[in-house]
Parts: sequence; structure tokens; C-alpha cells
Amino acid sequence: MKKAVTALVLSSLLAGSSLCAADKASSEATERVHRTMLMKDMRSMLDAMEQIQRGGLYSSSEDMKSGVKKLQGTLKTLESDEIKFILPKDQVYAYKFAQKTASMLRLYSDDMVTSIEAGRMDDALEDYTQLLKQCTSCHIRIRNW
Amino acid sequence: MERRSFLKVMAAGATIVAVNPSLIRGTLYADDGRLYSAYEKAQIVDGAGNPIKASSLEKEVTYIFNYPYASTPSMLINLPEPTQQEVALKSEAGEEYVWKSGVGKERTIVAYSAICAHQLTHPTPNDSFIKYVPKSTPTMAYSKSGIIVCSSHLSAYDASAGAKVLGGAASQPLAAVVLEVAADDTIWAVGVLGSDKFQDYFKAFKPEFKEFFGGPAQAKQLVSLSAKTVKLTEYSKEIIQY
Repeated sequence: MKKAVTALVLSSLLAGSSLCAADKASSEATERVHRTMLMKDMRSMLDAMEQIQRGGLYSSSEDMKSGVKKLQGTLKTLESDEIKFILPKDQVYAYKFAQKTASMLRLYSDDMVTSIEAGRMDDALEDYTQLLKQCTSCHIRIRNW
Repeated sequence: MERRSFLKVMAAGATIVAVNPSLIRGTLYADDGRLYSAYEKAQIVDGAGNPIKASSLEKEVTYIFNYPYASTPSMLINLPEPTQQEVALKSEAGEEYVWKSGVGKERTIVAYSAICAHQLTHPTPNDSFIKYVPKSTPTMAYSKSGIIVCSSHLSAYDASAGAKVLGGAASQPLAAVVLEVAADDTIWAVGVLGSDKFQDYFKAFKPEFKEFFGGPAQAKQLVSLSAKTVKLTEYSKEIIQY
């Protein structure tokens, strides 16, 4: 009887610990997926910013608008509550700041399209400067740059 | 003026300055045009347009009024204790100036520009990342509370010492709104002391002005006669403080 109880306890403990290990592995996998999402979005944002800059330097408003479209495609995750899952753990509390940055990126990029369409290229390039400032402002805060 | 009278005036002036050297500073800064700017005197009024009395201000509450321009937010705070006096401050360009003190019977009432000196974070009707943090509320920005905190990059300013920088990335104090309390206890804004960021702010937030003020031209209109003042909790839908 004693042996049976010991075996039962041991098997419960083993099952419990393997469940914990499975949970941990699953949570790490989810974190990896979220980190990958963030990195993918950041790379797309960099591409978008480069395209806008290239458009500005080569006087191509189409390139600039296409860059804006690409940039805005990356903002949905940052603007939503999903941002909490993709921020570095020690910065999750600052997710409102990241959301604010995303909303400012949307504001300036919308204004850039309006400025381009009105032929106000000085204003459009000022919007580009402000977009870049938002990017660096967020990196200073979230990445402790 | 005769030569003798002129010399008398000069001698009297030199004596006054010798007795009180701060008058030299006062004159220089008023003439400088950058570190002190006088604007139209505006009465601090509530949302309904009624004058706000100094004695009616709640302690440690952040109030917001736009001054000296229609779009430039300022904070009005009634601190729990009297402020420091004659605080020597320095702008990021190295210009020195002196913040006199708070106003009101107990010298507890202060006002500062709510545009952060670091990256121009400011309250909007949507949200605010900058506010006075009461003494009982902890903040990540500094070891003590009872200060002004910009939660964007955690700049901390000493509300009782001319918004001197206590910590974070800000490189100069917040510009101070110079207040007067009249004999009938009403409060008036009369000017701005320190290095303000208004021109940078106008340049950076053009798209936002369209949304909140109708456009950049309206945003740059000077406040005249009175400045409507509400609690930050009424001004912004969401307040973020770390």
C-alpha cells in the first residue's frame, strides 16, 4: 500500500513538473513569435522610412506615398493592445507611450500625403523629420538608447 | 534735462542698484526679450468664464490653461508648501535667470508651460503624459514626489523651484508663467519667464493644430483678456503617469 501511494505521489509530481515545463515552453514559444512580429514590423518601418526619404531626395511623390502606405501598414499592431505582448518585458508598462508614438506616426504620415497632394513639399519633408523624431523618441525610451 | 539733474538721476540709480543688485538682473532680463516676455494680462477663469480665486484652488491638483497662445498649454498648481525664492536657473543655451517665487498668500501657487523642454510632450484633449505628481503618489522619474513629471522620457522638474530639472533627459527648466494675485484674490497671467519652446512646438505640431484648434493660424493666436482653466482630468481623456 505504502509503495502504491509513493508511486502515485511521484507520478503526480512528475506529471505536474512536465506540465509546468510544457507551459514554460509554450510561453517562450509565444514570446518568440511576438518578438519576431516586432522585428518584422520594425524592419518594414525602416524600409518604409527609407522609401519616403528616397522619394523626397529623388523628387518622387509616388515613392513617398508608397512609403507612407507601407509605414501605416505596420502601425496596427503598435496601436492595438497587442503591443503589450511584443514590447521587451521591462518596458511593457510603457505600452501607452508606444501607442501614442504610433498615433503620432499616423498623424504625421497622413499629413504628409495631404501636403504632397497639395504640392507643399516643404511641409511634407517637415512631416518626414517629425516621423523620424517619433521613431528615435520611442527607441530612446523603449530600448533605453 | 540739465547736466546737474541728469547726474543726480544717475547717482540715485547707481545707489539703488548697489543696495539691491537683483534690480540689475530684473532690468536685463526684461530687456532681453527672450528670457522674459510680457504678454497680454489674462485673468484665470473657470470653464464658465467666472474668475478663479487663488484661495479656491485645490492643493496638488494640475489645472490647465492655454497661455500665452491659444494652443500652448500651461499648468497651474497650488503646492502643499511655500515655494523656494529667488531660484537661479539656466537655459540650455546657458543663459541665467532668476525665478522669484510662487504667488498667493502662502507663496504656493505656481504656473509653468506644460510643454516638456525635452521633446515637447504636452497635454492634448486625448491624453497627457505630463503632470504634477502629488507627494503621496510614487513616480519612476525621481526618488521623491511633489514634482512635475513628463512620463514620455521620465523628465522630472521641481515645481517649487521654478521647474528646475531634477532628472531625466530635459536640458532646461520648463518656462514659467508669471502670475499675479490681485487684492480681490483673482489670478492673472502676465508673461513667460525662461526659455520657452513655443516656436519649436508650433513647427512640430501643425497637424495636431488642425484637429484641435482649426489650424496653425488659430493655434498661434495670442490669449486675450482671460484664460479658461480646467483640471487636467477634465482637459485630457486619459492621463498617463509613470
